[in-house]
Amino acid sequence: MMRKLLFALSGAALCGLALPPVSFAAETPTITISKSDTIALALNPIGGPDSALITKVVQNDLTLSGLFSIADANRAAMTVGGADAGGSLQGKVLDHSGGTVLARAYRGGAREKAHAFANDIIETLTGHRGMAGSTIAFSATRSGRKEIYSADYDGSNVRQLTHDGSISVAPALSPDGRRLAYTSYLKGYADIYSIDLASGARQRIVKFPGTNSGPAFSPDGSQIACTVSRDGNPELYVVNANGSGARRLTRTPGVESSPSWSPDGRELVYSSDDRGGPQIYRISAGGGSGQLLSTGYRYCTKPTWSPDGKKIAFNIREGGVFRIAVLDLASNSTRVLTSGDDARDPIWGPDSRHLLFTRGGNLLLLDAQNGRTVKILDGLGSISEPAWSR
Amino acid sequence: MSNPRFATITRIARLSLAASVVLSLGACASFKKKPEYAGSSDGDFISGSALPDRNESSSFLSESVDKSRFSPVYFGFDSYSVESSEEGKLNAVASFLRNSSQELIIAGFTDERGTAEYNRGLGEKRAQAVRSYLLSRGADASRIQTTSFGAEMPADPGSGEAAWAKNRRAEFGVVR
Repeated sequence: MMRKLLFALSGAALCGLALPPVSFAAETPTITISKSDTIALALNPIGGPDSALITKVVQNDLTLSGLFSIADANRAAMTVGGADAGGSLQGKVLDHSGGTVLARAYRGGAREKAHAFANDIIETLTGHRGMAGSTIAFSATRSGRKEIYSADYDGSNVRQLTHDGSISVAPALSPDGRRLAYTSYLKGYADIYSIDLASGARQRIVKFPGTNSGPAFSPDGSQIACTVSRDGNPELYVVNANGSGARRLTRTPGVESSPSWSPDGRELVYSSDDRGGPQIYRISAGGGSGQLLSTGYRYCTKPTWSPDGKKIAFNIREGGVFRIAVLDLASNSTRVLTSGDDARDPIWGPDSRHLLFTRGGNLLLLDAQNGRTVKILDGLGSISEPAWSR
Repeated sequence: MSNPRFATITRIARLSLAASVVLSLGACASFKKKPEYAGSSDGDFISGSALPDRNESSSFLSESVDKSRFSPVYFGFDSYSVESSEEGKLNAVASFLRNSSQELIIAGFTDERGTAEYNRGLGEKRAQAVRSYLLSRGADASRIQTTSFGAEMPADPGSGEAAWAKNRRAEFGVVR
């Protein structure tokens, strides 16, 4: 009952915020909403040896989600608390009258437990999937060369994965976050490599003549889409995750690049300049002809399909400035999300609400619902081409 | 290949095939100026010829590859059309290839504008457009590799049109 009510509440809250959709209205006719577009939560410090870290991580996760505001207990709809003892975090969410909304135990590292608790709070109170605990990857020049790094989605646990002194770019994370594929010039040509993140084992998996670049894992992790030019032209290909079984998807005289899979794995979107400036196309994963998606913009690159399947974000170039736009597939309407300096290489997070992108060599998190932007990482030289697990 | 008549026929066939590729590239370039934003693309595109297997004992980055023998050729913004101003340089490369058994690596580059991955594709397309031109001038496809570095390794690290114009290029590496 409580959960149902809260779901309606958050739905109404989102409705008040999102610009075009009207679909939430019918579900929430009788509920009066405060002006706030978020659920107010009180956060009691979590007790135990890692209390400060866990409390901080949970608070940050809840704030970054865009779904909550942290408030005093008397103004909050719920209170989040808990205790960490004997390696186990007992997480709790109580309502006004002290009734238990969520009570669950978490094991693992301090950050891991905190992220899992935060995701449960998000899912229980809003019905939405959280992004806490997800993994990101990117290319950065801290060492003087472009190398691949991974990190937690909130910018903690930065780890340098490659130390090749070559050019390592275009990382992609498998949906489960266990494998990373990327483009490297280690052999002097652009080839696609795959790293098992637990063991560090690396293999060169796509190495046809010409350029092999821009890997993208299918939603089940079994296949990789990429650009291959062995036929005398850059075309989209799909290969098995170990690089075998290459098959060509596109046949155009233009340049195809940056594939991104639909959540059901049946289709891909990509960029092609087959008809003038680069545009976004949609194609069956089995091949066939690409269908142009009408966006209204003349230069569209780097599409990313949201995990909920509803939206495609991409880069546009207007007046020499790169901005991030999002196409809503149901309404076929496009909104521009960024203004100001160049914003590049958007990638959706697992919550289908946030995008990572780069600006001025820093990594930023963009809330596609309200446009709020938070810096996640800097100080690693120039960061480019972020990837995100699902 | 020992039969000169057969070789001539092959060359004519190759020339006409390559010419059709160049024609289709030219048509595409002019189409670029008035893009269309509706409908879906049908049909097929048969590229001139597949790339030969790589010889991985050398790459464009190898010390043993001579990158200063030929001048780079330059391109317009977001374009892979071979400009007529660049044909003289390319004819010199073609002439070298016709009279030598050495291998050539063509490396395509872009300016810093554009999305990184799109630039890698555009650089490769520039290298392949140059390759098509060389094939149309009688170069042997089995001795040409292509590669793209996108916006990496700019010839001029500056920003602004003067630097960008120098960076939109294809370079030639002769395998020694």
